[in-house]
Amino acid sequence: MSLSEPVTRTERRSLGRTLRQVPRPLALGGVLIGLSLMLAAFPSTFAPYDPVAMDYNALMHPPSLAHPMGTDNFGRDVLSRVIHAYTIDMQIAFFGTIFSFTFGIFIGALVGYAGGLADTIFGRIVDAVITFPFLVLVIAIVSVLGPGLVNMYVALAVVGWVFYARIIAAEVKVQKRLDYADAGRAMGYTPVRVIFRHLLPNAITPAIVYLVTDMALAILLGSSLGYLGLGAQPPTAEWGVQIADGKNFMTTGWWISVFPGIAIVLTGLGFSLIGDGLAEVLRTRK
Amino acid sequence: MSMSLFFLRRLLQLIPTLAFIMVVVFVLVRLLPGDPTSAILGDRALDADVARINHDLGLDRSIPVQFVLFLKSVVTGNLGNSITLKLPVTTLIAQRLPVTVMLTLMAALMALVMAVPLAFVAALRRDEAADSAIRGAFQVGLSMPVFYLGLILLTVFGARLGWFPVGGYGDTFDQHLYHLFLPAFTLALSLAAILMRNLRAAIIGVVDAEYVVFARSKGLMPGVILLRHVLRSALISTVALFGLSIGTLLGGAVITETVFAIPGAGRLMIDSIYGRDYPVVQGMTMALAVIVSLTFFLTDVVQAWLDPRVAR
Repeated sequence: MSLSEPVTRTERRSLGRTLRQVPRPLALGGVLIGLSLMLAAFPSTFAPYDPVAMDYNALMHPPSLAHPMGTDNFGRDVLSRVIHAYTIDMQIAFFGTIFSFTFGIFIGALVGYAGGLADTIFGRIVDAVITFPFLVLVIAIVSVLGPGLVNMYVALAVVGWVFYARIIAAEVKVQKRLDYADAGRAMGYTPVRVIFRHLLPNAITPAIVYLVTDMALAILLGSSLGYLGLGAQPPTAEWGVQIADGKNFMTTGWWISVFPGIAIVLTGLGFSLIGDGLAEVLRTRK
Repeated sequence: MSMSLFFLRRLLQLIPTLAFIMVVVFVLVRLLPGDPTSAILGDRALDADVARINHDLGLDRSIPVQFVLFLKSVVTGNLGNSITLKLPVTTLIAQRLPVTVMLTLMAALMALVMAVPLAFVAALRRDEAADSAIRGAFQVGLSMPVFYLGLILLTVFGARLGWFPVGGYGDTFDQHLYHLFLPAFTLALSLAAILMRNLRAAIIGVVDAEYVVFARSKGLMPGVILLRHVLRSALISTVALFGLSIGTLLGGAVITETVFAIPGAGRLMIDSIYGRDYPVVQGMTMALAVIVSLTFFLTDVVQAWLDPRVAR
């Protein structure tokens, strides 16, 4: 009974418009992230005020027409700060993941192809890294390097590459046994060429799906470190920093913290919806 | 027989893991900017004092010798003294870690209580309104940072409504439960979302399996089938996921304790980072990693009990 169900649904969908073929989570996530990227790229176009300009005539004003998200204890416009924070937090989503991704797929491809001792050693490294609570290890590394965004990216890369490498190694291990890999080797291509030109393109998809989901995690982690004072430093407008700024005013000025949090949730939701949607599309295509 | 052998083998595997934890923590501490000596003495220390402290801490030896000394002190239960609190780190761990463990256990329990029934509802009413609503709500919960959710719950249920205390830990066990309720709930939500998603998929996977259809045709009550046949096999992958999530949960506990001002290990760790109290950061990182590896061990055992094939 459950076998016939997806088939009929696909038939119905193919009759509809092309746009409706895109899974709903993917479409919704795409819209959310598209808007986020737009705000991140042109914050000054959309923000009504300067994000760091203080207005002592408008301290702690609740949301109004002049200030749709109110003002904080320095009279700064919360909406403008939330919009400008998109630039920082989208940057966190990118730089917080891209180094892990690049380094991880590089190591993972080599380990998966080599197998044997390299694979055993790598397995032990994975075991060791997942033994440390991710956030605790990142916090410990940031505390060694000092607070700030760049050091946070370093810490995320030091820990995060393992997860990508594990995914790619598993895929490459499967791919290297297939005929086309043998063909490549028979053609006399170097292992490096076979690994990176032939195997990796066929092995990379799960890692890309993970990358998108990981971007959601990077934003959550980046804002958490910002909240703890270990990530972006005030007066930079970053959502976690903003929430920390407003935490002592929750009963008198809830808007200072609540709106930046909504931005985190929407952006995180956008990335994880895209990740889920991509995974679903790839599963059905297989 | 094979079960106890599996138990023993898995127990032995803990040794290299623990050894590796020591190496990572040792390397981390050697990378610290500024040395522990100036952290203890301050900037205007006399050269003679610096030499004396360096000698006391073994910092004038070679790196391999330092590592052996470090291992020796860890094995004998000496993790040094806190610079700011002037107490042995082991004492601090003994004081603070139980708080964090209790918070984490409560959160894990709450996550299960939320995830299991909702996963059943979502799986059995697949693609209906209830399923979409549950999955949507949990998807949002998953995108909600712990510190933000905690702050909102604290404001609404603590400060505004006064139902729960706005911080602290209390003195008796009952008070602990009361004080930790909101923080544990905060921590539980994202774990519940992860478990729910996995369990829902697992239930969907087994609900049409032949042995379940057979049990149904045998005339067993639906409730019995769900608990004995469906839940048991669906739980296997969820238990593994649960074990893997313990690290995330402990990391979340660090933030939750900061938000709710709970005097646990995480709070101490953050305070120690601000105070550049390296021995405490080192000891706490190590203690939390040990807890995670013990949890991995336990989940493996539970998994083997649920599915004897795992032990083979």
